[in-house]
Amino acid sequence: MTEAFQSVGKSVIRKDAWEKATGQALYTADLSAEDLTFGAILRSPHHHARILNLDVTAARKVPGVKAVITSDDIPGEKVFGPLVQDQPSLASDVVRHLGEPVALVIASTRIAAEKARERILVSYQELEAVFDPVEAAQPDAPQLHTDGNIVSELHVGDGDITVGFQEADVVVEGTYNLPRISPGYMEPETSLAIWHEDGTITVWVSSQHPFTDQAVIAAALDMPVDQVRVKSAVIGGAFGGKEDSSLSILAALGAWKIRGAVKLVNNRRESFLAHPKRHPARIHYKLGARKDGTLTALQAEAYLDTGAYASYGPAVAMITTETMTGSYHIPHVKVDSYVVYTNSPLSGAMRGFGSPQSHFAVESTLDILAERIGLTPIEIRERNILQPGDQLYTKVVMNESALALPECLQKGREIMNEFRAAETTPGKLSGVGIALAAQSMGLGANVPDDSSHRLEWAPDGSVLIYLGAPDMGQGLAAAAEQITAEALGIPYERVYSLPLDTLETPNGNVTCASRMTYMAGNALLDASSSLIQSLLNEAGRLLDQPPDQLKYRDGMVIKPDGVEVPAVEFISRLAEESITLTAESTFSFPYPEETTPQHLPIGMPHVLYCFGAQVARVEVDPDLGTVEVTHFASIHDVGKVINRAGVEGQIEGGVATGLGYALYESMALKGDAWVDSFTEYLLPTAVDLPENYRSVILEVPEASGPYGAKGIGEIPLVPTAPAVANALYDALQVRIYDLPITPEKVMGLDK
Amino acid sequence: MKNIEVEFTLNGKKTSLSSAPNLTLLDVLRDELGLTGVKDSCGGEGECGACTVIINGKPVNSCLVFIGQVEGLQVTTIEGITPEDGYHPIQRAFVEAGAVQCGYCTPGAILATKALLDSNPEPSDRQIREGLSGNLCRCTGYTKMLDAVHRVIDEGQDD
Amino acid sequence: MLEFDYYRPKSLPELKENLSQPGALMLAGGTDIIPKMRKHKFKPTILVDTSGIPDLEFIEDQKEEVVIGSLTTHQQIARSPLIASVNPALQKAAESIGCIQTRCRGTLGGNLANASPAADTIPPLLIYDASLLIQSLEGERTIPLESFLLGPGKTSLEKGEFIHSVSFPRLKDRWGAEFIKVGKRTGMAISVVNAAAAVLLDQKGRISDARIALGSVGSVVIRCRETEGFLSGKNPDREVYAEAGRQVREEIRPISDVRSTVDYRLHSASVVVSRALEAAVEMAERRNE
Repeated sequence: MTEAFQSVGKSVIRKDAWEKATGQALYTADLSAEDLTFGAILRSPHHHARILNLDVTAARKVPGVKAVITSDDIPGEKVFGPLVQDQPSLASDVVRHLGEPVALVIASTRIAAEKARERILVSYQELEAVFDPVEAAQPDAPQLHTDGNIVSELHVGDGDITVGFQEADVVVEGTYNLPRISPGYMEPETSLAIWHEDGTITVWVSSQHPFTDQAVIAAALDMPVDQVRVKSAVIGGAFGGKEDSSLSILAALGAWKIRGAVKLVNNRRESFLAHPKRHPARIHYKLGARKDGTLTALQAEAYLDTGAYASYGPAVAMITTETMTGSYHIPHVKVDSYVVYTNSPLSGAMRGFGSPQSHFAVESTLDILAERIGLTPIEIRERNILQPGDQLYTKVVMNESALALPECLQKGREIMNEFRAAETTPGKLSGVGIALAAQSMGLGANVPDDSSHRLEWAPDGSVLIYLGAPDMGQGLAAAAEQITAEALGIPYERVYSLPLDTLETPNGNVTCASRMTYMAGNALLDASSSLIQSLLNEAGRLLDQPPDQLKYRDGMVIKPDGVEVPAVEFISRLAEESITLTAESTFSFPYPEETTPQHLPIGMPHVLYCFGAQVARVEVDPDLGTVEVTHFASIHDVGKVINRAGVEGQIEGGVATGLGYALYESMALKGDAWVDSFTEYLLPTAVDLPENYRSVILEVPEASGPYGAKGIGEIPLVPTAPAVANALYDALQVRIYDLPITPEKVMGLDK
Repeated sequence: MKNIEVEFTLNGKKTSLSSAPNLTLLDVLRDELGLTGVKDSCGGEGECGACTVIINGKPVNSCLVFIGQVEGLQVTTIEGITPEDGYHPIQRAFVEAGAVQCGYCTPGAILATKALLDSNPEPSDRQIREGLSGNLCRCTGYTKMLDAVHRVIDEGQDD
Repeated sequence: MLEFDYYRPKSLPELKENLSQPGALMLAGGTDIIPKMRKHKFKPTILVDTSGIPDLEFIEDQKEEVVIGSLTTHQQIARSPLIASVNPALQKAAESIGCIQTRCRGTLGGNLANASPAADTIPPLLIYDASLLIQSLEGERTIPLESFLLGPGKTSLEKGEFIHSVSFPRLKDRWGAEFIKVGKRTGMAISVVNAAAAVLLDQKGRISDARIALGSVGSVVIRCRETEGFLSGKNPDREVYAEAGRQVREEIRPISDVRSTVDYRLHSASVVVSRALEAAVEMAERRNE
């Protein structure tokens, strides 16, 4: 069935782009308030220490200071955390990482707050620190929390790996080390909180989960949730790192304490030290195959370093575990994964959420195996890719999404040949590599995942979306507007998303997990149907006609005699009667009972997957070890393109982040200090990206998706690093097991 | 610490102010003058370009300029290139090319582009990339920014 | 940000007077000083802003030598046709610094006074035997750049002194010069290793004079004079370049730090020196044509 879409599938201009281009868009740090005060956070200078004494008396006396707040001042919950409530808003007896918040100063100017911060006296007793997750998992390691250092562990398998490895003609094993990565959003964390005379509080946030912020702020302040209003300012990027309420809790605490308005702005160093990072991981990966290339067994063990607090660690480990088999069918599998505390800055949600780590292991190992067997990288993948109907080792049955895989490989093969034919710069060696990716959508089985959104038909005929989940810059609003416009048959230009305000907006849940277009889109399709039905009901009343005799199409109510009346005429009439047409709908991520295995912990399994492939061509300087990515192609199945420019933009940005993972980025401990600035934490710049880049977008429709759409937010950075590593091997026969690929490692001179 | 008097041209208008000398142009623009289009991302190290302004035709990180240093100079911010009605061609090109996602780096990138094209109206691909290499972006991967710059150049050639 | 008294001299005499005061620090482009002041690495009580002094922004062709005012920006040097023809290594180095925003503000004098072992302008100046004119209220003196650099962030500038200008003689007859930088990223790259090499060829095409300077391989940028001595009189070929590359390893003292390792720096120094020599020789050989 071919449909001519009016809006969906096209490149549309995001409505908020204009104000961003003129500098008028208001991010949280741009906001002001009457009698605004400023906060400065005193942070731990130690990796691990007991707080013996905390004396704020001198600080309180600094001119301009309104309050100095410590853990003792928090009226409600002193700890929070999405999965484990282990993260103190302000440290009380122990600090567990460098940069952990210890006290909060509120003053009339930022300078006064910073001056007062210098006057806070803290005496610490330094404790032994541990930074390696395998070390930290040992019984004799320094214990960070009362229940030990292992936050969670998973042991998942299928079949019998002893049998599987016996059936294998070739077995390859290796250990992969993945670094700590900063989400690197350009807008550091900020929050502005205002206490009102009526005892309510408004908190402006740059956050992926304003409703969660609302709940944890209320808990910290020991207030009813409906007394806390959270508003979303324009968000300057998030990538997972802004699924953390720590700064908004502190801003709210400050406002509550002084009964006024407080703005907190993290600088880049604070952002590095105190907001969630991608989990560093050590993955031991052992893969067996027959000599014809069919995979027989996988045994993998992963240690994820979740840092000082758990954040989303256990959930990240679930995705790492589930994606350990990548896009392939492997009959005998055993995966053990551990999430371990260390005295590092906390690891939490970050775009990819455990899948980039596992995929580096899967996709690198496949190439190693292919070479041992005498197959090409394409051939070994072709032999093993999932097909619809295959059962993953989690016992999830793969659906039609897998149809994208052969197409990914076919296009991949063509592009690899094309890239190989390119002329190599004299003095360099060139190589081409490919990697596939499987990314799950959704939060996982048995995790409540409802997303509510509301539509309102305005008197002028435009439609307002109370979008329940924030657009963090990725373009959710435009996609929601397109889907709604398509469903209502009205122009995209007439549909507007409103900024999120917990007072007005239904709870759309957190923007993450490659699912919000899917969730919001489905909810809005349903709400659009309801809205049309309400319109027809009211039109029927006004026309004195039975509503079931009326039809609706493209903004018109069609009477039984065929005459079309613009819907806006009815809506403006209703407005005169003080009737507003609205429709709210909640979409729950589907985990059909028949097809969702129940034997795994809450949060597993994921049942909906999207697939992709990326091809990299590198040129290597064989004497210096420098690697340049000259050509790059991404091939991604999105089910159905909603905003073409938006999908392309997500892919292009994801690839850039993936290249950073491959070649430049690592937040490592150097001596006693973390890499904590863009001087040493190297994000790719405009001259670092491949000059020859192309995007191939596939559309294998997802039956449950709005117009067939799936997610695209995370997968574009998943296969990038292994594609580059495989290309490097093709060029130089050097296999890198530890990211990032650096010239030092390429030359074997990194120690 | 004594205040200093600074006189300079801001977005085409003669501006005088009295300021603590230890404030940067970025601080003054945002906190004193309410021009919040200019942004802080890297913490004042000159590593990200989000604070880019144009001073006497040159792109400059305003976090690395003390306010006294703009005496007698012409400073242009993103607000200064936005016309009363409509948009500057570079702004329009960025928006229409899909080069604006979260938008935090956008004003800086637009001004860097303007400075580049004002000094070199027909830059090569390489020169465009180099001209933008001081503006970090985590959302777009730069691809559509480069498209936007090409749009501006192509449209300019049609005139 | 620290508090300070702010002076803005409008002339060289005023500048000298301001700098003679205790606690005074000279501010040029600010790209190094301002971040350091934020981190309290520099704590001046008096900040002397030179942006009102036009006298120190110049690039002058003085027949036998070229003189560059200390407040000339990297961008001005990168765009100077004179520098491109007289010291292409310096032109390439200036162009490679940071990004356009920092090049438009950062100055040559600032780069030298900051004395980072990774400073890109230093190797190309050292191979040209550059010297600095230092001035103060007390008078002036000239000092070779090589003697001026004492360690990371340390120079022989005394209280009240500032760099007026940098000069270096033109290379004569059949000469070539090259600059190569190895960074961890192409954009906004801080050098892991950088090298500048210049050669002069005699009438028989042999190397009569070779100069090699390596940065980020010691506490200061290093002139590799022993290797230069080895090269003198040699017929230029790949063997010779490779041997020079091996020999420089003996003259440098790299460390491991957040950016790289000792072993990689030793190795890559070898490679870039050999390549820079080859390129310099090719340039010199082309001068005959």
